[in-house]
Amino acid sequence: MKFLAGGTDLCVQIAEGALEPTLLIDISAAEELRRIERGAEGLRIGAAVTIAELLETARAAPGKPPAPASVPRCLLQGAAAIGSPQIRHLGTIGGNLCNASPCGDTLAPLIVLAGSFTLRSNRGSRVVAAEEFFLGPKATVLEPGEILQSILIPSTHLQGRSAFRMIGKRNGQAISQVNVAVWLKQEQSADSAGGGAGGTAPIQDIRIAAGSVAPIPLRLGRAERHLRGSVPDPSLLQAAARAVQEEIQPITDVRTSQAYRRSVTASLFLEVMTEVLEKQGG
Amino acid sequence: MNGEKLKLVGRGVAKVDGAELVTGRAKFAGDLRFPGMLYAAARRAGVAAGKIRSIDGSAASVLPGVRAVLTAGDIPGPNIIGILPPFDQPVLASEEVRYEGESLALVVAESREAARRAAAAVRVDIESWEPILDVDAALAEGCRKIHPQGNVTFSKRLIKGDVEKGFADAEVVVENTYHTSFQEHAYLEPETVVAVPGGDGRVTVYASCQSPFHIRGHIAANLNLPASRVKVIQAYTGGSFGGKDDVATEIGCLAAVAAVKLQAPVMIAHQRGESMVGSNLRHAARIHYRTGSRRDGTIVAREAKIYLDGGAYASESPFVTMKALIHAGGPYHVPNVQVECTAVYTNKTYCGAFRGFGVPQVTFASESQIDELAAKLGMDPLELRRKNALRAGQENATGQVFEQSVGLVQTIERVADQAADRRDPVRRAGADRSDAAEGRWLHGRGCACLLQGISNGAEGIDVVGASVQASQDGSVLVGVGLTDMGQGSRTVFAQIAAEVLGVTMDRITVRQVDTDSVHDSGPTVASRSTTVGGMAVYKAAGEVRSSLVKMASLMLKCEEKQVLLQDNFAVLASCAPRADNAEVRIALQEVCTAAYWTGFPLMHLAFSRAPDAQFDHETHQGNIYIAYNYGTHLMDVRIDTLTGAVEVLRHLAAHDLGRAINPLGVEGQVEGGALIGFGMAHLERIEHEGGRIQNANFADYAVPSIKDRLPTETIIVEDPNPTGPYGAKGVGEPPVAGTAAAFANAVAAATGIRFTRLPIRREDLLAALQGRNRGTAAESTPWQ
Amino acid sequence: MLLEFELNGKQTRVEAEPNLRVLDLLRDVLGLTGTKEGCGRGECGACTILLDGKAVNSCLLYAAKLQGRHVTTIEGLSGADEGAGGRGDQGDTPDLHPLQEAFLAEGAVQCGFCTPGMILSAKSLLDRNPDPDVREIEEALSGNLCRCTGYGKIVKAVQRAAERAPGSAKGEPHDER
Repeated sequence: MKFLAGGTDLCVQIAEGALEPTLLIDISAAEELRRIERGAEGLRIGAAVTIAELLETARAAPGKPPAPASVPRCLLQGAAAIGSPQIRHLGTIGGNLCNASPCGDTLAPLIVLAGSFTLRSNRGSRVVAAEEFFLGPKATVLEPGEILQSILIPSTHLQGRSAFRMIGKRNGQAISQVNVAVWLKQEQSADSAGGGAGGTAPIQDIRIAAGSVAPIPLRLGRAERHLRGSVPDPSLLQAAARAVQEEIQPITDVRTSQAYRRSVTASLFLEVMTEVLEKQGG
Repeated sequence: MNGEKLKLVGRGVAKVDGAELVTGRAKFAGDLRFPGMLYAAARRAGVAAGKIRSIDGSAASVLPGVRAVLTAGDIPGPNIIGILPPFDQPVLASEEVRYEGESLALVVAESREAARRAAAAVRVDIESWEPILDVDAALAEGCRKIHPQGNVTFSKRLIKGDVEKGFADAEVVVENTYHTSFQEHAYLEPETVVAVPGGDGRVTVYASCQSPFHIRGHIAANLNLPASRVKVIQAYTGGSFGGKDDVATEIGCLAAVAAVKLQAPVMIAHQRGESMVGSNLRHAARIHYRTGSRRDGTIVAREAKIYLDGGAYASESPFVTMKALIHAGGPYHVPNVQVECTAVYTNKTYCGAFRGFGVPQVTFASESQIDELAAKLGMDPLELRRKNALRAGQENATGQVFEQSVGLVQTIERVADQAADRRDPVRRAGADRSDAAEGRWLHGRGCACLLQGISNGAEGIDVVGASVQASQDGSVLVGVGLTDMGQGSRTVFAQIAAEVLGVTMDRITVRQVDTDSVHDSGPTVASRSTTVGGMAVYKAAGEVRSSLVKMASLMLKCEEKQVLLQDNFAVLASCAPRADNAEVRIALQEVCTAAYWTGFPLMHLAFSRAPDAQFDHETHQGNIYIAYNYGTHLMDVRIDTLTGAVEVLRHLAAHDLGRAINPLGVEGQVEGGALIGFGMAHLERIEHEGGRIQNANFADYAVPSIKDRLPTETIIVEDPNPTGPYGAKGVGEPPVAGTAAAFANAVAAATGIRFTRLPIRREDLLAALQGRNRGTAAESTPWQ
Repeated sequence: MLLEFELNGKQTRVEAEPNLRVLDLLRDVLGLTGTKEGCGRGECGACTILLDGKAVNSCLLYAAKLQGRHVTTIEGLSGADEGAGGRGDQGDTPDLHPLQEAFLAEGAVQCGFCTPGMILSAKSLLDRNPDPDVREIEEALSGNLCRCTGYGKIVKAVQRAAERAPGSAKGEPHDER
């Protein structure tokens, strides 16, 4: 038995003969799984919310000014990097997570956003941190009969700034050879004029994760320690980039070489840091 | 032809078959439905090499929906196909597996699903052999023979002048070895056929293909039937680029055998994975090249030794070998040229025709050499090319002289002018963002010159037959033995016929190609449709025109030379353009009706026969091509040193194509061919491991998406070709070679590193740039 | 199962296995062969249809999911009959949608196999964003591969259709032929 949401991964596996489920249960229309709600605890996203719907939340309604984006930037950027419009219209965030491909583009963002997943079965529900959800390529802690019900991004991580980058073989419809997500929070400095803190304030807290550099999306704790509590000047960023390179465990596969992964992860990390440390508007 | 005012030729008219394509009504082979139609799927070897011990279809044959499991013994004829005799490829293998996609059995069932399931259930026992994976292994002493005659498929030389003497005189020499990889056609429509047995003992095969007569011949042979009992109809074909004919022949034979045996229509439609594994690829090449010149840049000698990895079967290897040989010298006037080209068998997917046909591979090598020479001489790369460029009246590498239609220098000048014009820069959205980071971006400009022989050249007789038929209502039917697979040949034929007959485009129909109704015109390849095909249409239309003119002159009571045909009217020339009364103009409808009743013939079949190639087969010196297309490409790139990503900021593609019959179509050919060349140079690489393709899908084989497209600007140069209709030459293939070579040179200019392997992917760029920064030698990932 | 959904503006009822691919439902059961199979894996876009106005890969959609939804195929764009069967490959031209006309006028069609999917992705874009810039056009069509045209004329065709749609603002300037 398999649960079916958007089907963009499952249908491919069935078409290739990798899976032959005798029963498919379509959960994509279940109302409770399709809500996006902002509450005191944070932002709760139903597992069957499609990638396109997630991206829609950041678009302005016609004739209205853009609403403050409640979905953090790194998750939006990760979502936007997935496949193609066709895939995004059907595919769900839950599906991307439960498929647990190491190159999945919502995985690293949810790790850095300290996401937690509510899992539900007829035995009850439990909450698992994003970091603990993934066991290996295509393997998660989900037990038979258990579904991912919703994803919570805690309020603490709705503040601060985040960004995501990926790279693939080509510009369009590209599977990530590598992706990187960062969330951080800087101290508000006395002389900052509204808006963001810019590059000179110390980093209060930072989370870094990379995808497709290990069997699971990898939290890069050692690289984080380079930056946590420090002022992110260029030489420190370079040192952190080197730490990122050392901490990841990339392999060579049909998508690209280990050497490229090691090099380009550092580059993507620096790009992400540049974006995150820039003054960001409203 | 020259100096006439033309109404349709030279205009960018819309495709004649466009409406059915944009509405989805056009029937591709996979869209056809016949009552009682069955589906068939092949069981493939799945190992790269081995001895077939047994093939057991018994388990498969009892699965639900299965009607038959066919093996080699079920093929009535010799069970062999190929392009050039002696044919070496079985339709269904029974003795030996030479590549992983080898078809061993065919399952015929009531649904696609049932056929595929059952195909997987066919049991095969293969004693695996160590596969022969590369050219060096295949040529090594004592290596296992993939075919009885050995592992050399074909080997030829071109010898002009005396290269040893040439190099002795040279003051500057550059030398290098280049590699290109296997490229997949990746047409959007996978290979598909439907075979329908007729009650009259004939069998009709609908095929997505380029060469219906070639396919018919092989189907007939393998069915043990006379060719006249087999009819092949080209369905709308969703792209081919040289890639479908081997497979259309293979699955055409299979479907026909099954259809006749079961007396039911049978469809075979490949899935993408098996399309990539089981159909021909572009030859991978290794080219060792040296070029010698005087200090002033005059090239005096060029020598190249080329190895083509042709995979398991010969396919088009002999012709690709010859074409590579003939084009390796480049579009330059060089007195001493020596080229040796050898195609080799290996245990991988066989290689064959792919738009460009050997020319992209050698052009990359040749044009890299020219840039390397320019650097050594301290000369501007475009200037060096202009200095040595072939001009009318000069001998090319095969010693052939063209007195007309050698427009290379014009293409160089047009490109140089446009590249210098800073008021008209090409900018892609987003390309303009300024980046404060110092040294992050590397910019470079590269150019390339090329030539591409038009039509069959040394590959054999070059004939096209076309028929033009005028009906009594003044409408016209055109039939040509060449196929339209998207390149717009139907439209060009319609334009030519309409121009000659003075008929508007909406009154012309170009019929579907079927082997019953058109003349065998050989394959639609080598950029020959417009030139040789168009000429046949021109001639046939001309004969019908003279009947109409004769009739009209009687009706208008004037001399024949005073009759003009235009806009569906026969008009008295002296009164045009203000002709509007019955004494000076008559509707063509009336002329046609009258012509019929008077007994003037209204249908004509004409041949265009290109002069036979005449050359020495040992030295390849002589007259080989009826014409050459010449081109110059220029590309500006920006490389991100942090990721290796390349953005093409500008791409100029100038081609001397003689005459643009349909400029809109020309742009489409140039833009499309350019992107295929870009894929070859930057994005696409078939990955083999142990002889088995690892990336037989569109996720891991990076066909360019819309976000990877080039800002190609097509520059049309017209230096009329006396052997083509209205002076035309073809342009389908040349842009592939030009783009790939220009890209490689642009990257070299930007990075200061000469990449000698294609594709130059992001990861290769990053590795090389970082290797240079660390002071270590740049190594790109190994080519298998 | 019995499926009831709206197809090209008409209420449709059809019996089908719930896990039949919508691509096969359209092509084999309903005789609408304008939607094509290029890869069967959601990687090429040739099978693109509109589901509630949004472009999706019909090779990844199971029939059960169509219940109560709105489906648009290429056949629904012009005045052509919805039924199966051609009227010959050069029969009367039905009324063409502005996108279809634009693709023809700009030379954005060569072999035509990617065209139905490409046009539907473009329609999905223009229906919600009548004045897209080049970036938005590229993004909307990023899931549709074409091997023949090099894409340049496809972008121009979408721009042309956007400019000529009634009530649209002038889009990104481009060369008039």
